[in-house]
Amino acid sequence: MKRKAFVMAALSLALVAANVSTVQADALVGQPAPSFTAADTNGKSHALADFKDKYVVLEWTNYDCPFVVKQYSTQAMQEMQKMAAGKGVVWLSVNSSAAGKQGNYPAEKWNTLAKEKGAAPKAILLDGDGKIGQLYGAKTTPHMYIINPEGKLIYNGAIDDKPTTDAATKPQTNYVAAALTESMAGKPVTVATTRPYGCSVKY
Amino acid sequence: MRWLTLVMFWLAVGFAVLTAPVAAIPVRSAHTEAELVSEVRSVQPGRPFWVALRLKMDPEWHTYWLNPGDSGTATTLQWRQPAGIQAGPLRWPYPQRISAPPLASYGYEGTVYLLSEIQAPADLKPGAKLALRAKAEWLECKVECLPGAGTVALELPVQAEATAPSVHADAIASARGRLPVTIADWKLRAAVQEGQLILRATRPEWFAGETGPVTFFPEQDLLIEPAAPQVLESRPDGFLLKLKRSAVSTALPERIAGVLVAPAGWRGTGSEQALSAQVALEPAAAVLSAGAPDLAGLLVAVGFAFLGGIILNLMPCVLPVLSIKVLGFVQEARTGHAWRYGLAFTTGVLASFWLLAGGLLLLRAGGEQLGWGFQLQSPPFLVILCAVLFLFGLNLFGIFEVGTALTRLGGAGPAGGLGGSFFSGVLATTVATPCTAPFMGSALGYALTQPAWAALLVFTALGLGMASPYLLLSLSPALLRFVPKPGAWMETFKQAMGFLLMGTVVWLGWVLGLQAGVSALAALLAALVVLGAAAWALGKWGHMAAPAPTRLTARVLAALGIVGALGVALVGVEQQSAASSGPAQATASPSDGIRWEAFSPQRVAALRAAGTPVFIDFTAAWCLSCQVNERVAFSSPQVREAFARGGFVMLKADWTKRDATIAQALAQFGRSGVPLYVLYGPTAGAPPRILPEVLTPDIIVKAIQELL
Repeated sequence: MKRKAFVMAALSLALVAANVSTVQADALVGQPAPSFTAADTNGKSHALADFKDKYVVLEWTNYDCPFVVKQYSTQAMQEMQKMAAGKGVVWLSVNSSAAGKQGNYPAEKWNTLAKEKGAAPKAILLDGDGKIGQLYGAKTTPHMYIINPEGKLIYNGAIDDKPTTDAATKPQTNYVAAALTESMAGKPVTVATTRPYGCSVKY
Repeated sequence: MRWLTLVMFWLAVGFAVLTAPVAAIPVRSAHTEAELVSEVRSVQPGRPFWVALRLKMDPEWHTYWLNPGDSGTATTLQWRQPAGIQAGPLRWPYPQRISAPPLASYGYEGTVYLLSEIQAPADLKPGAKLALRAKAEWLECKVECLPGAGTVALELPVQAEATAPSVHADAIASARGRLPVTIADWKLRAAVQEGQLILRATRPEWFAGETGPVTFFPEQDLLIEPAAPQVLESRPDGFLLKLKRSAVSTALPERIAGVLVAPAGWRGTGSEQALSAQVALEPAAAVLSAGAPDLAGLLVAVGFAFLGGIILNLMPCVLPVLSIKVLGFVQEARTGHAWRYGLAFTTGVLASFWLLAGGLLLLRAGGEQLGWGFQLQSPPFLVILCAVLFLFGLNLFGIFEVGTALTRLGGAGPAGGLGGSFFSGVLATTVATPCTAPFMGSALGYALTQPAWAALLVFTALGLGMASPYLLLSLSPALLRFVPKPGAWMETFKQAMGFLLMGTVVWLGWVLGLQAGVSALAALLAALVVLGAAAWALGKWGHMAAPAPTRLTARVLAALGIVGALGVALVGVEQQSAASSGPAQATASPSDGIRWEAFSPQRVAALRAAGTPVFIDFTAAWCLSCQVNERVAFSSPQVREAFARGGFVMLKADWTKRDATIAQALAQFGRSGVPLYVLYGPTAGAPPRILPEVLTPDIIVKAIQELL
C-alpha cells in the first residue's frame, strides 16, 4: 500500500509538472550546440551531425525584415557567406517564420529570392514550426551562431556592432567574421556573446 | 449672417496662429508621426527648457525603449543645430512590456514623448529665433517591422520674459513624471543566484501604501530574459523581485542598471511610478538573509496553520474521507496498537503536504504563478482524483474487495496495516486541498513569500494540525473509550459515506467541465463507466474464493481496464483543455442576481481612483469553501441590498484555470490561494478591508456598513 500511495502522489506531482510549459533550452557559448535535423528549400534534409569536423554558421533570416534587407542590400551578408564558403565553413540560413507570418514563403520562392540577392548559403533551412529557433533561443533576424568543428557553440548574438537599418551606417566590427577568424587562428573568441538585434523572429 | 461667419473664421485663424506649436515640422513614416515639440512657447536667454521628440504610432504599432529587449532597436535623436546650444541626453519615460511569445520587447504604443533638456545660450537677443534641428531614427513594429527616419525641426522666438506654456506642456510634464526618479529611502539590493537576478527592496518607514505589481526594466543587454515572468514576493519590510537571468550570457556587470515600475507609485498613490535602480551586485546570502522572516511573524503563521489544519477536518471536502477514518479507530481501539496507526496516518498527511509544498515551491521558483490548490487547476490531476475517489466509493459500496487493500483505505482495521493508514493520510490531504479553512489563507500566503525552510515549517504545522485529532485519539487510550463499539452499523455507515464520495466526484467532474469543456467531462464519465465495469469484474471473479485461473484473468482484465480507461481519459482531457484555452466560463459561481464584472487590476485602479466602492471576489470552481460562501452569503437579499446601496462595483476573479494576473493580485494581498474577499470603501487611497474565509450575510453587511 505504501508503494501505491507513493506512486499516486508522485504521479499527481508529475502530472502537474508536465502541465507547466517547457523551459526554453537556449544555446550557451562553450556548450555543445543542440543537434537538429531540418529540410532545406530543395527538400533535402540536413542534420547538424552531418557537418562534424567543420565550422557551421547559423544565420536566422527573414528577407522582409529591414535589418536583413540592410545586410543583403549592402552585400555584407553575401560577402560573409562567400568568405566562409572559401574557408570550408558550412553556412546555413534558417527561417523560423510561422505559416502565415512575415517571411514564410514556399520553398521555390525562397530559391528565387536567394538567387536574386546572390545569397550563397550552403542551404536555407525551413523551420516553420519554430523548433530549431526555440531550441537555439533565436530571437531576432539576423541572429547568428557559430559552431566549431568539435560541435561546440563559439558565438551567439548579433551580426555586427551597428544595430540599424540604415545602409549608410557601416559597422566597425562584424562579430561573426571576427569570431571565425580568431577561432580558425586557434585563439579564443574575444566577443562570444552579444545581444542580437533586429526584427523579432516571427514564431 | 455672412459677416458673423467671417468674423468667426478670422477669430479661428487668429487663435490657431496664437496657439500653434511654434513652427514645428512633423515628419511621417508609414506608421509613425514624428515631431519636435517644446514645453515653452518662447525661450529666454540662458534659461533651460524641455523639448521632446513626439512619436505618435498607429494603433497596434510600437517603437522601442533605450533597451529594446529581445528584438528591435532604440529610437535615436542626433542634434544638428548650430554650436552653442547644448542639448541634454535623450531621457526615456518608462516603457511597457510588449509581448510576442516566446519573445518580449520594451517599448511604447500610442504616443510617446522622448525628452531632452536644452540650455538656451545666454547671448540670445530677444526678438531673434532659436532653431533646433535633429535627425530622428526609429524602428516601428507591429509584428513586422519598418524603419522610420526624418529630420525634425523646431523654431522658437526668443523673449525676455516667459510666456504661456505651449500646447504640449501638459504632455511633456506627464512624460517627465514617467522618468525614473531616485528615492534614496527605498533601499535596493541585488544578487544573482541559481539563474535568477534577485532584487530586494526595503520600503522607507514613511511609506504606508502598496506598490502594486512591480516590474523591472533592465537598461543593460543580456541581463534578464524579457519574456520570462517576474516573480514578486512580499516581505514584511518590502519585497523581493525574482527575474530570470539571460539564458545565453553568464557574464555579469558589477552594477545592474534599470527601472523599477510600481503602478501605485513609490511615494504613495498618484506619485512617481518609475524608480531608478542602479545597484551593485552582492553575494546572494547577504541580500536574501536581509529578508529573513521575523520570528514573531513565523510563529504566528505556524500557529494559524496548526489551527487551520484542525479546522480543515470539518471542511466539506475532508469529511467523507475522514469519517471513514473514524471507522478505523473503532477497530484499532480494540487492538491496543492504535498509536501506530495514528502515527502512520500522520506520516501520510505530512508526506503529502511536503510533496505538495515542495512541488509548489519548485514551480514557483521556476517563475510559475501558482498558489494553493494549484493542482486542481490541472485537468489531468482532476481526472486521477475523480478515478481514485470513484473506485474508493465503489469499494465502500462493497462492489469489490481487493484482498487486504482498498477496504482498508480508510484504515478500517488492523488488517489494513500501517500502509493503509498512511494512504488514508495521503487521500485526506489530497481531497483537502480545495478547502481553505479559516486561519489557513493568511498562514499559507505568508509561507509562500518566505524562504523554503520557513514555508515547509508552515506546511508541516498545517499537516500536524490536520492529523492532530486522530493522533491524539490514537495516543490516548482514555479517549478511545468514547469511540462507539464496532458492529453491523459500520457496514451501513460505510455505504452511506460511499454516496458522499460519489457527490465529491460529481463536483470535481463539474470543475473539470468548466476547465476543459463538456467533451472532457464526457471523457471522464466514460472512463468512470469502464472503471466501474473493471471494479465489478474484479468483485465478481477476482476474489479469493474464485478458482485461480478465473481470478487471474479477472484481475488482469480489471487492471487493463483501469489503466486503459485512465489513459484514454487523460489523453482526451489533455486535448480538450488545449483546445479551450480561454478563461473559465463565468459559470463557476451560482447565479446570485449580482451583476459581476471580470476582474482586472486596471479596472480596480480606475474604480479606486474614481472613489467607487469595489468588492472583489477571488474564487474558483474547485474551491469548495468559495462555493459554500457564495451560496450562503451572496444569494442573501440583505447582502445584495447592502452592496447595491453602497454603489459597489462587483468584480469576480475566477481562478478555476491557471491565471498569472490573478495569482499576482492574490500575492499583493499576501495570499496564495482562494477564497479572498476584498472590500474597498469610497475613500480613494484608503486600504481595503479583507473579509474572513468563511462568510455569513451578517459579516458582509456589517463590513459594508462600517466602510460607508
